[in-house]
Amino acid sequence: MMKFFTVRKVLTFFLLVSLAFAAFSAYYKIKYWGFDFRPNRTTKVWNIDAQITFKPTGEPIKVSLAVPTAGKDFKILNEDIQAKGYEVNKDVYSGRIEFTSSAKNKVQNLYYRVTIYDNENGKGKLREAKVAAPRLPIYNEQQRQMVDEILTEADKLQGSWPQKIIQMFNQEPMNPTLSAFLPIKMTQKQRAEKMMELLAVKSIPSRLARGVRLEEGKQAAEADLMLEAYDGSKWMLYDLKTGKEGLPKNFIIFQRGGTSLLDVSGGENSKVRFSVLRSVVSSFKMAEHRSGLNNYKVMFDYSIYSLPLLEQNTLKWLMVFPLGILIVVLMRNVVGIKTMGTFTPMLIAMSLVKTGFWAGLISFSVIIAIGLLLRAVLSKLNLLLVPRISAVVIFVILIMQFMTIFGYRMNWSIASSAVFFPIIITAWIIERASITWEEEGPANAVSEIFYSMITAVVTYLVISNEYIRHITFAFDEINLVILFTVMLLGTYTGYRLTELKRFAPLAKGE
Amino acid sequence: MFEWLKGFCRPSELKSNGVLGMNARNYKIISKYNNRRLYPLVDDKVQTKMLAAREGINTPHLIGVIEYQHQVKDFLELVKNHPQFVIKPAHGSGGKGVLVIKHWDDDCFVTASEKVLTFQDVYKHISNTLSGLFSLGGQYDVAVIEEMVNFSDMFKDFSYQGVPDVRIIVYKGYPAMAMMRLATAESGGRANLHQGAVGVGLDIKSGKTLNAVMHNLPISVHPDTKADLRSLVVPFWREHLIIGAKAYEMTGLGYLGADIVLDKNRGPMMLELNARPGLAIQIANGKGLVEVIKQIDKTYPQNLTAEERVDFILNMKK
Repeated sequence: MMKFFTVRKVLTFFLLVSLAFAAFSAYYKIKYWGFDFRPNRTTKVWNIDAQITFKPTGEPIKVSLAVPTAGKDFKILNEDIQAKGYEVNKDVYSGRIEFTSSAKNKVQNLYYRVTIYDNENGKGKLREAKVAAPRLPIYNEQQRQMVDEILTEADKLQGSWPQKIIQMFNQEPMNPTLSAFLPIKMTQKQRAEKMMELLAVKSIPSRLARGVRLEEGKQAAEADLMLEAYDGSKWMLYDLKTGKEGLPKNFIIFQRGGTSLLDVSGGENSKVRFSVLRSVVSSFKMAEHRSGLNNYKVMFDYSIYSLPLLEQNTLKWLMVFPLGILIVVLMRNVVGIKTMGTFTPMLIAMSLVKTGFWAGLISFSVIIAIGLLLRAVLSKLNLLLVPRISAVVIFVILIMQFMTIFGYRMNWSIASSAVFFPIIITAWIIERASITWEEEGPANAVSEIFYSMITAVVTYLVISNEYIRHITFAFDEINLVILFTVMLLGTYTGYRLTELKRFAPLAKGE
Repeated sequence: MFEWLKGFCRPSELKSNGVLGMNARNYKIISKYNNRRLYPLVDDKVQTKMLAAREGINTPHLIGVIEYQHQVKDFLELVKNHPQFVIKPAHGSGGKGVLVIKHWDDDCFVTASEKVLTFQDVYKHISNTLSGLFSLGGQYDVAVIEEMVNFSDMFKDFSYQGVPDVRIIVYKGYPAMAMMRLATAESGGRANLHQGAVGVGLDIKSGKTLNAVMHNLPISVHPDTKADLRSLVVPFWREHLIIGAKAYEMTGLGYLGADIVLDKNRGPMMLELNARPGLAIQIANGKGLVEVIKQIDKTYPQNLTAEERVDFILNMKK
């Protein structure tokens, strides 16, 4: 008894280890490779086009554009620069691209395109030890009073000072004092500068960050703004509409920290315009790029997912079988259903996947029925075993041939699915069913076929399920868990479900 | 809607009644006490017969063995001094391929079920046996020809056609449980319980009826002969048990089923042994095997001879 106890313990241990391993690699694949439990997952990919336009003044040209740097908040899939006749230089440290060229005369267009994905909400913090206090704005007496009133009013609002002021600016209807204080028409930038002015009154240093708000179909738009305010130890980002602190995931920062977004020397009327295009890429295809970003490319290179698609599909097909096997084990040792041949139901299920459920089921039933009829004739001849089963095999082939031809002529695709069933297995099913029929009666033969088919259908439902196939492929470590589960089931000594009925007369004695 | 669920019982109910399940039998008993190497001893009837003779266990006398197709035509030579004989596949199971010839002359053979066969029919039967028609995995086999058992008349009223036999489950050499299997019209003269034969659980100490079932349901009279099953007593019970107990020494199998028939002249005879006996015997006995197995493991003495083990059981206080 002791010995078996240990076997079970060892297997349980390995089961737990494989479970932990599967859980960890699922976590890893989701986090670093962007895998998902759901099939057909896609990743949103954003193309941001920046178009720089300026008119040369006739002097040598030097253009400097602040560009996004990939980090925790988003990943860069691709960067592309189109600037004919320019020398392009990327300064990774300051996050700027410089275009230099000799003097030109026509209006110049330079393009910078960046493709980003996995954009996430960020904190948007930027540490800086000390920042000079802002210069106090100069007001006349009337303005002074208005500002005091606005700030008293703002103080009643929630949040930090930058948030209070942003909220105040976005109130509907606007506070009358504030609306009197502000010019009637303002650009986004002027509005933000007014906020900064009020923050300066409270001695809070502030500045603007520029970037692009990801909105589908954005065309030739100006840079979007966010407010940056210093809180004594770090710069914080604030949404100009909601006052929300932090970097929202739909905002890609190009420039922050006082410098300019675009510097052009040797040109005038310079401007930069942004266009945004969203596209969708299968998450699986992105996995390789994601893994490369984390310096764990080796892990990826030695996984299924780095293989050519054909091999991947073959493996995807194989990876679902352990689950089918688990079902067979459960059906036989836990439920207690008797099937013809151990893995026959699984082979039938595999064929059903290829033929389609109903078509397969119908044509398989027809093959078995015709086969049993022919086999009944055969049994009258009293042939020896090997020639007899061989004859059944040939019968099956002929039935398949007949069904395929007939199906084609009659335009019944159902009939032509007959060829997908494994010939030898089908022949053995017929042989065994017919022996059971002769020895134990038709009822037993039919029930044996019926239970085999039930098991096949259950297996089919599992292995044809899109979600299950995706999970066993994308998180293939689950097959280790199944392996140890199956082995552990090899030590299961409890009653089978069917025994609860079979032995029911013995339960009543209590 | 859940009416069908009433046919099921709770696992705890079976457990408290000590019912041995298939998984527990395979894992805890067969894989532990029945070495796979020993299976051929019981799967091959020729070997079983030879081993039995060495242990002094009665089996039907062997007339001859036909091993090759070219020997088949000479089978009349073998049986010429035997007015009755039985042809069996050496590796058959469940009575498959057994041909019982009650009497014969040069051109006709009469079987136990009064069927008349020609020489050609019997020839073909033996030939099929050799090619594996009746053997377990369909592999080539040999045909065993042995003397017919002269069944005792004592059970005539208890069985519809067919031959009643006693099945004894032997655990570590101790007879643990016994039943008698009686053929019915429904089972077609066969003694297989799942085909509708009657199973009569026998008291291991006395060979008297404990309980009788057909299709898992308790019955008290035979459905065809109307004999009162409770009046059934197996004579020569000690000899039955000794055959079972000796089968342990003979094969080394820790868990086996011995099938025993009663011959009018020679007494109890072993027909065959089974290394994976089924569990239906529990239903026939109305109790589980676990309790007696535990007792044998814990309290029954070891290193006794077969006779001593049988006497130990017979003298046990209930």
